[in-house]
Amino acid sequence: MTNSRILETAPPLLAAERLVKEFPGVRALDGATLTMRAGSVHALLGENGAGKSTLIKALTGLHRPDAGTLEVEGRPIVLNSSADAVRAGVAVVHQERNLIPEFSVAENITLRQIPSRRGLVDREVMRDTARRCLDLLGLDLDIDAPVKGLSVAQTQLVEIAKALSTESRVLLLDEPTSALTMAEADRLYDVVGRLRDQGRSILLVSHKLEEIFAHCDTVTVLRDGSSVLEAAPLSSYSTDEVVDLMVGRSHTAVQFAPRPTPTEGPAALELDGVATAGGHQDVSLAVRRGEIVGLYGLVGAGRTELARAILGLDRLTDGQIRVNGEPARIGDVRSALNTYRIGYVPENRKEEGLFLDQSLTMNIAVTVWERIKRAVGYVPRRKERDLAADYTTRLGIRSAGTGQQVSTLSGGNQQKVSLAKWLAAQTEILIIDEPTVGIDVRTKAAFHELIWNLAADGLAIVLITSDLPEMVTLADRVGVMREFRIAGWVDNDDHDYGTVSRAVIDLIHAREPASEPTIVRRHRPRPDHPGRQARDSTNSSSVLRGLSSGKQCGETRWHVWHRASSHRCRTLAGWRFLGDVRRGGFPDRPFVLATERRG
Amino acid sequence: MSAPPVERTDVEVESRDRAKPRRRLDPGRAQRLGLLVVIAVLVISFGSASSAFYDQQLTIFPLLRDISILCVVGLAQLAVMSIGHMNLAVGRMAALSAMVMGLAYQELHLPLYAGLVLGLLVGAAIGALTGWIISATGVNSFVVTLAMDFVLLGLVSLVYAQFTTSAAFTVKPAGMDELRKYSLADVCLGPVCGSPAVPQLFLFTVVAMLAVGWLYSRTRVGRELLLVGSNIKAAQLSGIPTGRRVIGAHALSGTLAGLAGFMLAVTAGSFTATIGSEFMIPSFLGPVLGGTLLTGGAVSVIGTLLGTTLTQVIRQGLTLLGVGLESLNIYLGAILLLALSTGRIRTVLSERKARTSR
Amino acid sequence: MTTLGRFLPPGAGRIRRFARSTEMTLAAVGVIGFVALAADSHGSLLQGNAVRGILTYLSVPILIGLAQLVVLAAGQMNLSVGALGGFLSVFTAALMADHGVPAPLAIGIALLAGTVIGAGNGILVVVTRINGFIVTLGTMTILLGLQYRVAGTRTIDAGSAALQRFGSMSLLNVPTIFMVALVVAGGLAFFLRRVAAGRRLLASGGNPLAAELSGISNARSLVLAHTLSGLIIAVAAVVAVASAPGVNKSIGGDWLLPSFAAPIIGGAALAGGAVSVLGAVFAAFIVRLVDLARAQYSLDPSWVNFTVGAVVLGTVVIGRIQEVRQTRSRQAKPDTASQSTNSTVRSPA
Repeated sequence: MTNSRILETAPPLLAAERLVKEFPGVRALDGATLTMRAGSVHALLGENGAGKSTLIKALTGLHRPDAGTLEVEGRPIVLNSSADAVRAGVAVVHQERNLIPEFSVAENITLRQIPSRRGLVDREVMRDTARRCLDLLGLDLDIDAPVKGLSVAQTQLVEIAKALSTESRVLLLDEPTSALTMAEADRLYDVVGRLRDQGRSILLVSHKLEEIFAHCDTVTVLRDGSSVLEAAPLSSYSTDEVVDLMVGRSHTAVQFAPRPTPTEGPAALELDGVATAGGHQDVSLAVRRGEIVGLYGLVGAGRTELARAILGLDRLTDGQIRVNGEPARIGDVRSALNTYRIGYVPENRKEEGLFLDQSLTMNIAVTVWERIKRAVGYVPRRKERDLAADYTTRLGIRSAGTGQQVSTLSGGNQQKVSLAKWLAAQTEILIIDEPTVGIDVRTKAAFHELIWNLAADGLAIVLITSDLPEMVTLADRVGVMREFRIAGWVDNDDHDYGTVSRAVIDLIHAREPASEPTIVRRHRPRPDHPGRQARDSTNSSSVLRGLSSGKQCGETRWHVWHRASSHRCRTLAGWRFLGDVRRGGFPDRPFVLATERRG
Repeated sequence: MSAPPVERTDVEVESRDRAKPRRRLDPGRAQRLGLLVVIAVLVISFGSASSAFYDQQLTIFPLLRDISILCVVGLAQLAVMSIGHMNLAVGRMAALSAMVMGLAYQELHLPLYAGLVLGLLVGAAIGALTGWIISATGVNSFVVTLAMDFVLLGLVSLVYAQFTTSAAFTVKPAGMDELRKYSLADVCLGPVCGSPAVPQLFLFTVVAMLAVGWLYSRTRVGRELLLVGSNIKAAQLSGIPTGRRVIGAHALSGTLAGLAGFMLAVTAGSFTATIGSEFMIPSFLGPVLGGTLLTGGAVSVIGTLLGTTLTQVIRQGLTLLGVGLESLNIYLGAILLLALSTGRIRTVLSERKARTSR
Repeated sequence: MTTLGRFLPPGAGRIRRFARSTEMTLAAVGVIGFVALAADSHGSLLQGNAVRGILTYLSVPILIGLAQLVVLAAGQMNLSVGALGGFLSVFTAALMADHGVPAPLAIGIALLAGTVIGAGNGILVVVTRINGFIVTLGTMTILLGLQYRVAGTRTIDAGSAALQRFGSMSLLNVPTIFMVALVVAGGLAFFLRRVAAGRRLLASGGNPLAAELSGISNARSLVLAHTLSGLIIAVAAVVAVASAPGVNKSIGGDWLLPSFAAPIIGGAALAGGAVSVLGAVFAAFIVRLVDLARAQYSLDPSWVNFTVGAVVLGTVVIGRIQEVRQTRSRQAKPDTASQSTNSTVRSPA
């Protein structure tokens, strides 16, 4: 800490002053200021659309700001290309995967500065550099293998290794852990810590506030393109305060009027012992009309794949799907829609849900042409347009008219369009996959209300989401999936977050019973080794008992730590941070708890 | 085919409806208007340079006949461009259809239109086969149609070599000669006869344009084709049978190529293996100049006609002005590049304007 | 896989990868086909001038295949391969025949012209941002016109004894012009594998966005690819002039399709980023074998096109089936599950 205080008198490694960047119709940056000092991890926070990605692109030479100044170590600089940024010592890991699939791991890592002598690639230097960068991350990959054969998490780590290859003093990480497992994320943060100790400066953008609070020193919050909090020490803020700054007002949990849940009659959709070619085993579930059934689980637990199997995109190898009590044979999406009235709002709206370069009308009417067509497939234009206009109004999609191209809408409105086509199709069963990913907090609440009301209107809804507060707010029952099976069901009649979340987490980890809880530690902005804290702590079992009985949930912030179960993961001396129970970060492994009393 | 609705006479489709339809001209429409102006200017200047340009018998009639054929060729390409594909075998599919027609007339002695239908069916079948290979393997349409081009090139020559000695089917069914020579002056509704400058073959083009335009602007299948071109994954998840649409688009392309082959054979007077060998370049020129996107999702039937007309007017005009056949290509290529570059220049300018006005 | 790799000597993985590669299959097909043909011809195919003939007429197919390959590597297409080759052929011949330019100078001018026109293609693609397919379609049309204008209806005999001698010269029955083709192939392979600019070119083709974010100029890669393509076409044109008794307006007219066939059969992905020079050379040889077989059994020349087309179709279908099988086996082992590649490859925009 004293070290960093001395450094504060030196010019910041990277300083962006009042940056402005305009795109046609939108001011993406409007006076954004960012100051990054040596030897610190800086968090950049903001809602979607607050300008984080634009700021990062401005810092790496991909966008040229319309106004404002950039300084590297006190010297003003103009970045015209990504090569300029590399030269200035700024490296970045973008959100998108940016590797050359056919190239080897080593070559991808060194792509920014291909080691060469007189124009010839120097293979030895290339492999050495690559191996050194991978060693930093503790990764053991075949550096000569092409990247196309790697898993998503592996490619993500290779990207990070690539950013490390240029010896940059400033490292920008945009959602680096989105595709990583906890163990991999830990290894990454371990490296981040080491880089900080070497005097580098790291910018971390993440939606996972738990990670931010665990690993960052300072924070800048962006809202509507300008900095509302500039390089403030993170330790003086609580999670709620930071969220309030991001949102711009205090947010409160949404409460909906209770809706009657019918128990009579056959289920609208029923899966009975379903097994699929994709690997599902013995999946059974039932959704009635007016009911929202949630499917919770970790990424890769097989939820989206189950949805695809229901739609006939994956083969059933055993069991039965029944619609309204009748056995259904669903061969493709078309028959799912036309015969069984099942709709699916996909998780990735830009790639799977929308036709971005087409009009609202085309996007909404795609599912109804079958119904409104006349002889020889003639589709009356007016009818189609009216229908689109109707659903545009009903869902409150803000647009300049049904002729507007969907790519020009905001994320939330796009998601509504993606939903609208299924409502227009008059589906009776709706599978909604991650409906609010990438949508700002305000629109999110409106979306929750919309889904709630759809169920109240009699739709049978299967809700897939990884957002546990969202799940608890909306679902009547939560099925927890693990490894392509349903691990168990949790009733969610009274929508009580504390009890339900715990039950869900228990189910996720049912196979590996929680290790003996041993750690109690205070909430700190940057954790040192929790293992050390553990030795200081007294009897933690009582704390856990307190938690499981729900007694202290109101006034206590719970931090969940996981003891690495194998020797593979030695970061944080065998412990790693899993999440803050109350804010919705969740462990995926046996866990122990650490706590901090507020106030 | 049922009559098209009359509320709008154009059959152009721009699936990207406009955000502000009244106040600003959308780029597609502006492009077509620009084409029309350029064509008009060219026609006037060629006409003033050489009055022979207005000669109905010697200039306009063959000009319109060429436009008729190449517009259908352009539509054949447009059909696959709508789903973001290409058909490099468009000329050879025309050759195959023409071959089947010639075979039908010579060996089976079928009447003119029966042979035409048979040829179109074969065109549809080979197109469907191509589409099937593409959708089943997921391989780029460029590669598959290129290979198909090779296959058909060989196959067609082999069949001609097998059945004929002069590499041409010369048997002409009744009505074929008339179709070549007759203009609309020979089509009379009571006392009103058409213009002698317009060949009867043009009617085939009009029918093809109406059918294709109607398909894309008014029917479910057409819209679904555009959506497949726009985003094939989303199309599949919206319940569009994407495999069938890919096959359908290629079958349509094959059918239209077959029709163009027939029209060329009628014009030339015989069915030969070389039919369609010159189709590849014009098949792209027409639609691309007219605003159809290579990436799929937006097509313009009227634009295809205008694009084709522009290239043929230039060709005909320069020939009349004594520019040798060999130099024509130079001008055509230059004009293609220039015309497409203007689109780019316009975007750059408007972007710059938008930036400074803010 | 990762752990296994560590127990094997370095390079073993590479050898194994090669054994399973397209190149190996093509080489096997080529050798077996040639042996079968030679056996059936009772050895006449192995005689000196037969071998010379085979190799002489293999040079141009290899060169035009490489000219297309380098553009495919950058994720582009070059439709003007045949037209540029044709134009440069008649241009070179006319320089020597009509203007009495000495052969070395004429060749130099041809190479320069090819390079400049290729660069022009690349610059047009970059500046206008029009699809490379359309740009080269335009330049193809222009070049066809230029070729007709230069050649007219005549057949131009370059009239250079030195060049003709060079065209028919051979060392141990290996014609010099075939060696030229091999040298170009070797040079291109070296460039794409070992030279930093070549790697950048491939990176631009493999993932333009990633390349840009890594500080690579895609524009430079595109111009470079088209320039190299133009240069290689110029070499092909010179070879064509040297090996043929005369050139006319139809030369180059049938180059376009084979130029795609060689790299595609050889394993180039049209999406860019992955090409195999060796594969393209083997593929050109196989196409040549088909032609040989046709001649040996005195079949109609059309069989060649038919067979080549069928082979390309067969290659893509089989390749796809293998890919599907691989993904399936990968799915069976969820540990190594990786993203399946996007099956609907769009033409590079």
